[in-house]
Amino acid sequence: MLLQQIVNGLALGAVYALIALGYTMVYGVLELINFAHGEIYMIGAYLGILLLTFFTAVGLTQHHLVLSLFLVFVGAALYCAGYGLTLERVAYRPLRHANRLSPLISAIGMSIFLQNYVMLAQGSTDKVFPHLLPSEPVAVLGVPISLLQIFIILTSIFLMIGLSLFVKKTRLGKAMRATAQDKRMAGLVGIDINKVIAITFVIGSILASAAGVMVAIYYGLVNFFIGYVAGIKAFTAAVLGGIGNIPGAMAGGFILGLVESLGAGYLSSEYKDVFAFLILIVVLILRPSGLLGEKASEKV
Amino acid sequence: MIEIFRRIHSPLLAVLIFALFGGTGCSRPADTIRIAVAGPMTGDQSKQGNDLKNGVELAVAKWNETSGLLGKKVELLVGDDQHDPKQAVAIANKFVNSGVVGVVGHWNSSASIPASEVYHRADIPMITPASTNPRVTDRGYSNVFRVCGRDDQQGKVAAEFVAAQLKAKRVAVLHDKTTYGQGLADEFKKALGNRAEVVYYSGIIQGDKDFRGVLTTVVSKKPDVYFFGGIYPEGGLLVKQAKEVGLNVPMVSGDGVIDQVFVQIAGEAADGTYLTFSPDTTKLPAAQEVLKQYRARYGEPGPYSFYAYDAAQVLLNAVQKAGTTDGFGINQAIRTTSYDGITGRLQFDSKGDLLTTQYVVWITKNGQFEEFWKPSGR
Repeated sequence: MLLQQIVNGLALGAVYALIALGYTMVYGVLELINFAHGEIYMIGAYLGILLLTFFTAVGLTQHHLVLSLFLVFVGAALYCAGYGLTLERVAYRPLRHANRLSPLISAIGMSIFLQNYVMLAQGSTDKVFPHLLPSEPVAVLGVPISLLQIFIILTSIFLMIGLSLFVKKTRLGKAMRATAQDKRMAGLVGIDINKVIAITFVIGSILASAAGVMVAIYYGLVNFFIGYVAGIKAFTAAVLGGIGNIPGAMAGGFILGLVESLGAGYLSSEYKDVFAFLILIVVLILRPSGLLGEKASEKV
Repeated sequence: MIEIFRRIHSPLLAVLIFALFGGTGCSRPADTIRIAVAGPMTGDQSKQGNDLKNGVELAVAKWNETSGLLGKKVELLVGDDQHDPKQAVAIANKFVNSGVVGVVGHWNSSASIPASEVYHRADIPMITPASTNPRVTDRGYSNVFRVCGRDDQQGKVAAEFVAAQLKAKRVAVLHDKTTYGQGLADEFKKALGNRAEVVYYSGIIQGDKDFRGVLTTVVSKKPDVYFFGGIYPEGGLLVKQAKEVGLNVPMVSGDGVIDQVFVQIAGEAADGTYLTFSPDTTKLPAAQEVLKQYRARYGEPGPYSFYAYDAAQVLLNAVQKAGTTDGFGINQAIRTTSYDGITGRLQFDSKGDLLTTQYVVWITKNGQFEEFWKPSGR
């Protein structure tokens, strides 16, 4: 049972981690909490369900499951990237040199706008998608584990490795790290700050869209306010790991998922959310900058 | 008022004040009578709210097509409480301020109970088609009625079914911590007594999507059956995820889960779920004509569409019979009249509950709900 709970927690945590990365990357370059990020994830989930329904209707999922899944991920990623880009251009760039509070309010405004926009466009009822992958669990070491969970965990790890390589090895990744360290200095040495920031939003949105699509398949159900709770949880994960720190967001997401799952399983499912926030408080008391957070002095 | 105007000596201010008072006073045209329907119109339970709205709308349309009510048109206000108690109170206040003569709603007990306090203060009749928590009517309010059963009756039938029919020895109980969900789970547990052992009892969070953690623990308790007190969004995810974590025993739940959306969410996993609800209304001969009209306008009716229709009919008939829009008169008329609705005879006891209610057990089979079991001695 412990192993099963751990797998439950890892699958949950993988989703949190993917969304948390978007929070943490944007914070890294802009020192801004992008509260509309949860809505990007929600839009990704909607697109996942809509595309899957479409592919099922034309008969693609029945014959080419892997291909259609791939197309769904790519489609959702492109669409959400567009949203991330627009979000940055419309809501944040005009306020880049404004008071710190202004972009925050703008973020909350965008979040409310996107929620209501999706509600009007897609209706206020739950969108439901029938099962795609077999829901019967397979026995792994005598423990029933669903294929979907393995799929989610593996896909997330794959995306995270990709992100880490991108940030560490590529020129753009280096530019991103430079921008995170000091925007003005990075600009002076010839880095196009606007481009780097835009790309940060695009990458964050793609990761969120992947999380959204996986959740759509995992639960088979989306509605227009799933972004809110997921956003809060992922933000918690980002803070837990040290906001601005990429490995921190990954670790924070998995820890949060595990704590929730084990807490719900062994202590009390009524207070599942309480455990998540309790662990956040404890970590912040002991390590104010988060588990892997850099010391604030490095930023100056 | 004129005294005040004189003292102010400011014609402009007087005009403004007049416009203000005049504005609110004139917002209700004298040639219509307003009634209201409230429920979760948006959000995860919006299917139910809209079923309610459609049922009431149909009843109102019927009155307007014929003679109207007391010679006037009936105007229907729709309130969205989002199954949130706070929002329900806000909606109730809005209704009272708009001068409605009666309310059909709300859907959730957790919304009906706080909202009924507002209606009670204004002495406006409220007829809920769906709130089954005992406390809705147990507070002795003369303006609160329901055209559905009570959870103490429902819990008893569920317990009898689990003990006598399923012959379960070990039972796990989950609930969604709401007035309705936890209330029903507790009534079930109480009625079960020592006929079976409750091996696990816990709440889950309404709105949550992941119950694998708690379900994995339920598996380890080895129950013969598990009971869920709650609504279909969580109910659907529970049965679906239960199969995924290897919990292969049937779920028993109540009237909050019996909706087509439950099957859509759960897919094949929904099959074999037992649900307590009143007998099938669409099969009643009295309901056939309304069923046809409902289908033509809105499509397939939900489980509570006809109860909402009947609740509206009870209200409108009572207004007609009382010959007044005064709350006291309407409440009296509702209480003293027996109305033959499409769901059966609707006659209220002194609390505002129906004199005759019946719960049966339904089963989910191939994505459809059908009646399965009746308690003996009926």
